[in-house]
Amino acid sequence: MKKFKILIIAFVILFNLVTNLLADNSDQINKISKNLRCLICQGQSVYDSQSDFAISIKTLINKKINDGENENEIYEFLKSKYGGWIIYDPEINKNTFLLWLIPLILFVFGGLLIIRKVSIK
Amino acid sequence: MSNQVGNYSLYIALLVSILLIFKSYKFKSNSSKNLDSKIFSLLSIQSLMILISFASLIYAFIISDFSNETVYNNSHTAKPLFYKISGTWGNHEGSLILWLLVLSIFLFIFFIKSNNQSNNYRVLTVLFQEIIIFGFLLFILFTSNPFKNLFPIPIEGTGLNPILQDPALAIHPPVLYLGYVGTSIIFSSSLAAIVCGIVNNNWAKHIKKWIIISWIFLTIGILLGSVWAYYELGWGGFWFWDPVENVSLMPWFCLTALLHTIIVLEKRNLFQSWTVILCITTFALSMSGTFLVRSGILNSVHTFANDPSRGIFILCFLFFLIFLSIIIFFIYQKNISKNLNKSFLISKETAILINNWFMMFFLSVVLIGTVYPIFLEVINGLKISIGPPFYQKLIVPFLIPFFLFMALAPKLKWIRDNVYRINIQQFIQLIISIIISYFLIIKFGISYVFAIPLFGLGFFLFFLTIKDFFSKDSSLSQKLSHFGFSLFIISILLNGVLAKEYSSNMKVGDEREYMNKTIKFENIKVVQESNYKSIVGEFKILDDRSNLSMKPEIRIYDQPRTLTSEADIISTIYSDNFLVFNILKDDGYYNVRYQHKPLMIWIWLSVILISFGGILSYFKRND
Repeated sequence: MKKFKILIIAFVILFNLVTNLLADNSDQINKISKNLRCLICQGQSVYDSQSDFAISIKTLINKKINDGENENEIYEFLKSKYGGWIIYDPEINKNTFLLWLIPLILFVFGGLLIIRKVSIK
Repeated sequence: MSNQVGNYSLYIALLVSILLIFKSYKFKSNSSKNLDSKIFSLLSIQSLMILISFASLIYAFIISDFSNETVYNNSHTAKPLFYKISGTWGNHEGSLILWLLVLSIFLFIFFIKSNNQSNNYRVLTVLFQEIIIFGFLLFILFTSNPFKNLFPIPIEGTGLNPILQDPALAIHPPVLYLGYVGTSIIFSSSLAAIVCGIVNNNWAKHIKKWIIISWIFLTIGILLGSVWAYYELGWGGFWFWDPVENVSLMPWFCLTALLHTIIVLEKRNLFQSWTVILCITTFALSMSGTFLVRSGILNSVHTFANDPSRGIFILCFLFFLIFLSIIIFFIYQKNISKNLNKSFLISKETAILINNWFMMFFLSVVLIGTVYPIFLEVINGLKISIGPPFYQKLIVPFLIPFFLFMALAPKLKWIRDNVYRINIQQFIQLIISIIISYFLIIKFGISYVFAIPLFGLGFFLFFLTIKDFFSKDSSLSQKLSHFGFSLFIISILLNGVLAKEYSSNMKVGDEREYMNKTIKFENIKVVQESNYKSIVGEFKILDDRSNLSMKPEIRIYDQPRTLTSEADIISTIYSDNFLVFNILKDDGYYNVRYQHKPLMIWIWLSVILISFGGILSYFKRND
């Protein structure tokens, strides 16, 4: 049963990969540019913005995709060039693990409080 | 002239505020009857003064009195009258006067409406509320006075930001403020109640109306902002997890939790301390929202121009209020009659606790996502962005159990219920919902990991809330709000996975094929309106069944010089067609973006249903 599950998951991942590769560039550009902040705008994503900066980033993404780079490589490239500020989806590292962890800890903590308040009998 | 009137009436209001704080503080020792009428008259004077100052600001905007700095900075003679008026609160100074006006009027109404409560409690509420009013008056008078004189008097103003010149956004701030400020009454009254030791079912019944009314306004206020963002910002989305949006969502989570908890306090006299904590937190969140927006530390499309001294003032004031409420809470906590009865595992009480549990979790995600970048930057200078992917990753998986609880919980009884009431019929419905979602996901090729349980439980909740209309278990208002919520969830889920978008650079005469549709760019027209120039694109969207002609606009405003894109949206009950275009540098080419968004209108309608449930509950006689 477990092997079967792994097989399915592997298949799904593979399927996604293949479809992503075959997909039209514009979908891919939309997907990536939605995750990027337009650095010269006020709280807009690259996707939403029509500024020169956003347009040049979109062109860059298109070029990178044609060069065969995948999503993560593009994010890495942009991050090395513009810093983490450009990416809307913060990666988990020593500076951001608390960001992801605090809500989850609070959730567990809240659950414990409720258990104390409720009689199980 | 109006400058002087406005200014002096604010000073009088400040004076009255000091008097009221003094009087209501002294009230504890003597309890003469006629103090009631004294406070009443002082409150009326204060509200009247603030009303006069607000009215004089509106007047200055209407007659375009540019000797007033606020009017000069935010208005223009060529603006339509409606936007001259709405410009009053479309800026920092004016919006604070509005905030203050609502604060004082709410207190006034509270004082009249609460005459069946003990005098001690009422006067204490006035005391706490006056402290807030006093703080805001100081803030307005010394850091953001809207009545500053300009000399020499300029001939023309600099204009209102064109993206704010919109009917939905004209009424969005007042509505949202009614919600925000309503929480101040809840805050003051909960502190008063804890000092008087009356945190019980009687108080719950009395304050519940205020909770409901604040919640309704907050819900509608958020809705209006969201609708505006949808058609005005030209992005085609309705929620961007922008910090300023988050700031309005946080008190909403808290208030929704409170809305449920207050029922437990009313019916079962349980969770007293928790209710008070929620009351305090809700207001603290509303205040910190103001702080975050006004201080300018948030990077957002919504922020007005601002300066740091304002931020520091609000921050100090906020800390003072939180500190005050924590001290009061701990000193008077012994006043809370401890009801040590535990609730049973399978009961409505526990179900509501679970609701609160999830609300607090969602709140913590949004809160931490909003403030974490600020702290990180202060601590080690790193700038990170937290956007939609973060919120989706943390919130969406938790929606699955949340839907399950929400579907089953409303049918539970108070005190103690039996697990066997969750019967075979519901189990079958759950299976059917999962199967439906399975086929849906296969059909549309959705690749999200949790899609099957998420959609399955979404449908399950939807079916059960519909079925609930035929049961006699709970009140109509609750059924309506819960049904609205499930409709909201279904619409958002389907909209999220089925929305299609296409963007391309086109010039007049071009045709593009997209998903068996043809997008034709037929013509372009330039129209001169009173305060802007409009470039209207004429498009046709054709497929085998329909022929839509759409006319998105680009508006070029002169004062201040700004370009805005006005999307053209054709809404039907099935889907929205959304078309927007932008000028490109290359001559004659425009960036055209077409979006097909299923069930869009149901997202708005469902939120209206949710708040309508609240309205029903507000007008319910006794329950």
